[in-house]
Amino acid sequence: MSYVDIHDVGVTFGGNPILRNVTFNVDKAEVVSIIGPNGSGKTTLIRAMLGLIEHRGNVLLAGRPLRHQMERVGYVPQRFDFDRTFPLSVQEFLALAVKKADGEWRDEVLREFSVRPLLRQKLGTLSGGQMQRVLIASALMKQPEVMMLDEPTSGVDVEGVASFYELVRHINKEHEITVFLVSHEVNMVFKTSTKVVCLNKDLVCCGDPRKVITTEILDKLYGPDHELRVHDHSH
Amino acid sequence: MEHLIELFAPLYVQRALLAGVFSGALLAILGIFVALRKMAFFSDGIAHTSLTGVAIAVLLGQQPLAWAVGVGVVFAVLIYLLEKKTDIAPDSLIGILFTSSLALGVVLMNFKKGYQPDLLSFLFGNILTIRSEELRVIIPLSVVIGGFMVVRYRRYLLICLNEELSKVAGVWLEVHKLSLYVMLAVASILAIKMFGIILVSALLILPVSFGKLFARSARSLLVISMIFAEVIVVGGVALSLWRDLPTAATIVLTGTVLFVCGMAFSRLGGAE
Repeated sequence: MSYVDIHDVGVTFGGNPILRNVTFNVDKAEVVSIIGPNGSGKTTLIRAMLGLIEHRGNVLLAGRPLRHQMERVGYVPQRFDFDRTFPLSVQEFLALAVKKADGEWRDEVLREFSVRPLLRQKLGTLSGGQMQRVLIASALMKQPEVMMLDEPTSGVDVEGVASFYELVRHINKEHEITVFLVSHEVNMVFKTSTKVVCLNKDLVCCGDPRKVITTEILDKLYGPDHELRVHDHSH
Repeated sequence: MEHLIELFAPLYVQRALLAGVFSGALLAILGIFVALRKMAFFSDGIAHTSLTGVAIAVLLGQQPLAWAVGVGVVFAVLIYLLEKKTDIAPDSLIGILFTSSLALGVVLMNFKKGYQPDLLSFLFGNILTIRSEELRVIIPLSVVIGGFMVVRYRRYLLICLNEELSKVAGVWLEVHKLSLYVMLAVASILAIKMFGIILVSALLILPVSFGKLFARSARSLLVISMIFAEVIVVGGVALSLWRDLPTAATIVLTGTVLFVCGMAFSRLGGAE
């Protein structure tokens, strides 16, 4: 039995299929990148897996429905809309979702994501990159076994993106956290992921990115005019 | 000072102060969630729906407050259910329900002939007419709801901040949402005898708006909002007695003046 089983997941909005019969398995401590063009159902898949939207099929974590084991899952949403004039400090925000975080773990997360200097700042005054770091630190506070990151580098500059993927590799390797990552950075997917899931409403490909991402697959996902290139990773 | 003690000496004034202090603090706490969830129209609407309850009580010759609270809670639950089960925009839903309830209240009142002091006091509020038996309802309920909200402050902040994150955090979202609606309905309607159907939402909005000018954290926002509410209630009651002005309106105007002063002060660099 795999660690995470996604079996026959489908989502329909107003009679229109958004996601059709998606099935794949993930082993513990894998980094799974979910790629595909806009509107391909990437965010929908993540939200269905978390039980945030109605869907068909099953999502199991260690043999039990994932939505009943939220204490084992950390989530960073694609968009985090809130009243930016509300005076919530970063320190308070980090304490919202977790009753009492383990002190040592909390210190490590704050250090790794450089959040400590931001603790007294108001959440609404953070830049895009700072906000992403705080959101990820918040999701990590409960020491999850699975992290779901929905386009975590949107609004982050190029250097920030590279260091972010470095951190993803770190939390995956050092803490054995299984990571699901919705991403547009195909090059980073090659470097970081152990598995890639290509979506275009249907499951187009699934497997080791070095093997399954081919020019044909990219054409199928993004159309023949895309500017993405398959890099040679054999050397 | 002597003059102030003299003003506050009569029993009816002390009852008014007690009711105002407890109710004001409760509305200040709930106002934080109202601001964060952008629910000002909900609380305003719920206050208006209570007129049907007042009208039924007047026709039956019973306590208006109990009926008003009962009808308000029914409407709060109805709004929650319709929001969940239909595609109608929440603002339209609240608008339809509150105007319909207000209209029903007016029609019911038509069956009762003669001058209706209860109706007028519920419409515009008269904190100086608070009776001991009403105080015995207002104080315990304010303490229980206010205490519960302070204890569960973080949970309610999370659901008002972002519903998805609260679900993933394992919060029972729907239970918390419904309980927030019901508590807001109870608190607003408990206060309408004091501040009036028309003015009660000012006590929800002014304290948090003032607090946001100076607070650097959600905790300090809670403290500043509650202090502000107490200052405008006590100050407003004193001012209205001193200058013989309508009390509820004076409380609201005291709050507005303080808010404008606070805004000017924060703009001049007094607050970050």
